[in-house]
Amino acid sequence: MGTLFASLAAGCGSSVVLDPPTIPKPLMTTIPLSVGLRMPENFESFVHEEEVLGREQWTIDLGRSNAVFFAQLFGYMFETVTVVSEADDPSIMPFDALIEPSIDEFEFSVPNQTKTNDFAVWIRYRIKVYDRDGKLVVNWPVSAYGKSQTTVMGGKDALQRAAILAMRDAAALMIIKFDEPTLISSISSDPTSTAVPVEEGGEATAQATTLGGDNDE
Amino acid sequence: MNELWSSTVAYRLTLVCALLGVGAGCVTSRVEDAREGITGIASDESVVIMAKSYHLGNETEAKYIACIENALARGSKGLRVIPHKQFVDSLFPWFEPRTAPTETKGLPKLMERPGVAAQIHEQGVRYIIWLEGDTEKVAGGGSLSCAAGPGGGGCFGFAWWQNASDYNASVWDLEGLESAGTVSADVSGTSFLPALVVPIPLIARTQAAACKGLANQLRAFIISDELT
Repeated sequence: MGTLFASLAAGCGSSVVLDPPTIPKPLMTTIPLSVGLRMPENFESFVHEEEVLGREQWTIDLGRSNAVFFAQLFGYMFETVTVVSEADDPSIMPFDALIEPSIDEFEFSVPNQTKTNDFAVWIRYRIKVYDRDGKLVVNWPVSAYGKSQTTVMGGKDALQRAAILAMRDAAALMIIKFDEPTLISSISSDPTSTAVPVEEGGEATAQATTLGGDNDE
Repeated sequence: MNELWSSTVAYRLTLVCALLGVGAGCVTSRVEDAREGITGIASDESVVIMAKSYHLGNETEAKYIACIENALARGSKGLRVIPHKQFVDSLFPWFEPRTAPTETKGLPKLMERPGVAAQIHEQGVRYIIWLEGDTEKVAGGGSLSCAAGPGGGGCFGFAWWQNASDYNASVWDLEGLESAGTVSADVSGTSFLPALVVPIPLIARTQAAACKGLANQLRAFIISDELT
């Protein structure tokens, strides 16, 4: 019976398609900079596939979610944001800085793995910031986490919500902490001022940690 | 003022055990509060129910939060409840699981953030109620087996399980930016499933009892029924 059940379970699959999330307008002071935003190609069609416990295939299609998410987030954070393609040469454009987000890792867990009712999603973004001379001045890993309980709507709905919560968690962290590791506000519109460049592979020291409202400075 | 009320503790203990064919198991319920300050609420003031962050390991169920919201708003003495999603969105990113204040001492600084005090004032939020806790199966046993054949089917046996619903609510007063006190509900109950051909479930609805008990006590705590 056990073997039969395992055979039936093998090859089971679930597919989740995520609609682009909407971030509420944040309560923050806009950073007075004009930035370029260059997103990687996979932000337009990000798909994560994973086999859970060796028998259940999950496919999470984030589609354009990351592209929409970062355009909206940085649109709220900076005075002017211009999305540039990978083919564009940002050195000839009048930006104060160029921001290049990417995904380092995407992971999730399902209730079978954790023996709870929860779906959880972890996303590690990487934010690179280049100054107006094209020097890499920031290389910041941003770890985000979202969790959602299974409901009568089923697991797919909960996994979608967990992914959206993880993106929202990343947004909250970036809004509150962006200036600490990036010192981006020091890249003023004054063309003589620049942030200190970092080596390729070097990382900003600020990590994603749980913050209390009283210690987020 | 806090010292005046710090030792005031209200305590209720009830035992409900209905096995008379109404489909309910036994439930033991204990609801208590510990007051730290004088409360009260005006008709144009509101409350928000929030779950403590899952970043801190809290597992409060979304349906329990919704249950408390509905129970507090219901009836002639119902409070004005702002849906927590509306509140969190309007104050983004300051009440996200990662960023929400964990202690009242963080409130003065939070209120200085751009737009935060104005948003809270606009919605008339007087109290934030932080929920933590969950419902867990703590024990179980018995055995039940079912079989079906061409002539019909049936079950035989007896199973039982015990659930514990333990929830705690911390009430923050945004007028004084201080804690007003806590209310807690600890409910345990045993459900039974005897089967002689047909299973007859006698379910102890501990989470529903914890919702009703906590909401009633919270309402009394906030409108200070006990003081008048």
